[in-house]
Amino acid sequence: MTRTVRWRSVLSSAALLGLAILAFGADHALSQATLVATYALAGLGVVVVVGQAGQIALGQAALVGLGAYTEALLVSASVPSLLAIPVAAATAAAGGALASLPARRLGGLYFGMSTLAFALIVEEALVRWEPVTRGAAGLAVPALQLAGQAVDAPASQALVSVAALIGAMLLCARLFDSRLGRAWRAVREDEVAADACGIDPVRAKLLAFVVGGALSGVAGALYAHWIGFISPEQFGLMFSFELLMLAFIGGAQRLAGAAWGALVIVAIPQAISVLRDALPGELARSAGLETVVFGAVIVAVVLLRPRGLAGGR
Amino acid sequence: MLAVVQVLISGVALGCVYGLVALSFVLIYKATETVSFMQGELLMLGAFAALGLHLGAGWPLAAGALAAVAGTALLGAAFERIALRHAVGRPHLVAVLLTFGLGLMLRGAVASVPAAVQETYRLPLAADVVQIGAVTLAGGQLLVIAATLLIAALLTLFFRATRTGLALRALSEDARIAALMGVPVARMHTLAWALGAGLAALAGLLLAPLTFIHLNMGLVALKAFPAAVLGGLTSLPGALVAGLFLGVVEALAGLMLPEGVKDVVPYALLMLGLLLFPAGFGAGRAGR
Repeated sequence: MTRTVRWRSVLSSAALLGLAILAFGADHALSQATLVATYALAGLGVVVVVGQAGQIALGQAALVGLGAYTEALLVSASVPSLLAIPVAAATAAAGGALASLPARRLGGLYFGMSTLAFALIVEEALVRWEPVTRGAAGLAVPALQLAGQAVDAPASQALVSVAALIGAMLLCARLFDSRLGRAWRAVREDEVAADACGIDPVRAKLLAFVVGGALSGVAGALYAHWIGFISPEQFGLMFSFELLMLAFIGGAQRLAGAAWGALVIVAIPQAISVLRDALPGELARSAGLETVVFGAVIVAVVLLRPRGLAGGR
Repeated sequence: MLAVVQVLISGVALGCVYGLVALSFVLIYKATETVSFMQGELLMLGAFAALGLHLGAGWPLAAGALAAVAGTALLGAAFERIALRHAVGRPHLVAVLLTFGLGLMLRGAVASVPAAVQETYRLPLAADVVQIGAVTLAGGQLLVIAATLLIAALLTLFFRATRTGLALRALSEDARIAALMGVPVARMHTLAWALGAGLAALAGLLLAPLTFIHLNMGLVALKAFPAAVLGGLTSLPGALVAGLFLGVVEALAGLMLPEGVKDVVPYALLMLGLLLFPAGFGAGRAGR
């Protein structure tokens, strides 16, 4: 990623935010920006696993959920947020390691299966472990406290989440240029050749899931504060596929792609609600419209832009 | 003791449905090396199509069921022709996203029919109860078990005794050499998706007497998926046996373990199975 490209994406994001403020009003636009930045942060976790290391993660939402629940429980026990967020990241990282463990020697598609199974187990556990998680009823989460101040205004929330995203992206850029990042790409291109060059593929893949889990865990912790209420079904299969889709749209191998992918994923429901107003009576009221459109977008993007929107043809 | 027998038999019946859906996963995976994430939706669609033709259009149940299975199989073939063939030879992520997107479209389409969302339905299929000695069995369970045996026999016959079955087997051994030997690879891919979709629809019809027909009945595919993996992902008998095994274990877990454990048993077994038997139960611990 060259300097000029980075400036261009900063400028275009700022222009987009300005346009959104004009169109929707400041508060709505800022809360949407918060959502986009937090989604992008969670999606970075998928970019590491899918884009860099070339594996599949079908249960990333569960790791976001682990981060969110850890944060909510710690903050409710009056642990300071700045202390709780690293613990949330560590929990999700441990979850990522555990989820990928059974497939560590098989790789590829088998990671998809073990992470999917792990995610379904986590979701069920969050529902059933009622004394702690309050089950399907969900948990209320207090506002994020930074330096004695509650971060509850849309502007400060947007600021914190964009700052977190930029920090995570800088960190990832460093990581991708490091020995570990090169090992990931070597494993992605050819595992046998990587092994022959002295790279330990099992270790590289495990670390991809750990780093990816930590990123998604931080996103989960922030998400819990922004939404203010978490329940198990928010972190289900649909969210996992949204994150996968996000990484795919952004062109799984690019860092900045996560932000563009997040923008599309957050924009789709908004676009659908606009569409719903425009369509005539019967069709617009149908319950399945949103699902059909979302599915059609996935199919269209995969067929027409196989390398993602950011990746060109 | 009697209760255990009845629970076991209901586990076997549910396990047969898992096994059939797992078979559809494996059929598709063997021929095209893609994992389909829309089998649950195809299953739900098949059941709703039969229901619609029987209750809505007034067809006889048998004709409606036949048309539903054939229609779903045609839909699978059409999906392959239009979209899924672009995923062959590409990273697994492409097929995963494509099938998930197609599944969402199917689900949304069914959800757009108001009558489908508002109620749960039963098919009037083998609704009576059978008494054997002291054991009381639901007719639906016996129907599922019998139908599964029949389907397994027909599939075995198809793969062992017909040229098309032989071609499909050759394709799954080595696609390039099969093509050189004159196997029409593209047509076989279409056939595999049609078979997989039809099998899922059939599983939906057989599931109908055990549970209800509703929008979320496709979730059963999430439990059939571990069965396909535990069976080794490329073994048809393995998938069926693993499905039966999961059904029985789940039923026993429901009887003996606390509430909720039963629902995660297939996934826990999947993770444990991958850890201990990386190449499937059939291959033993040697793995690869």
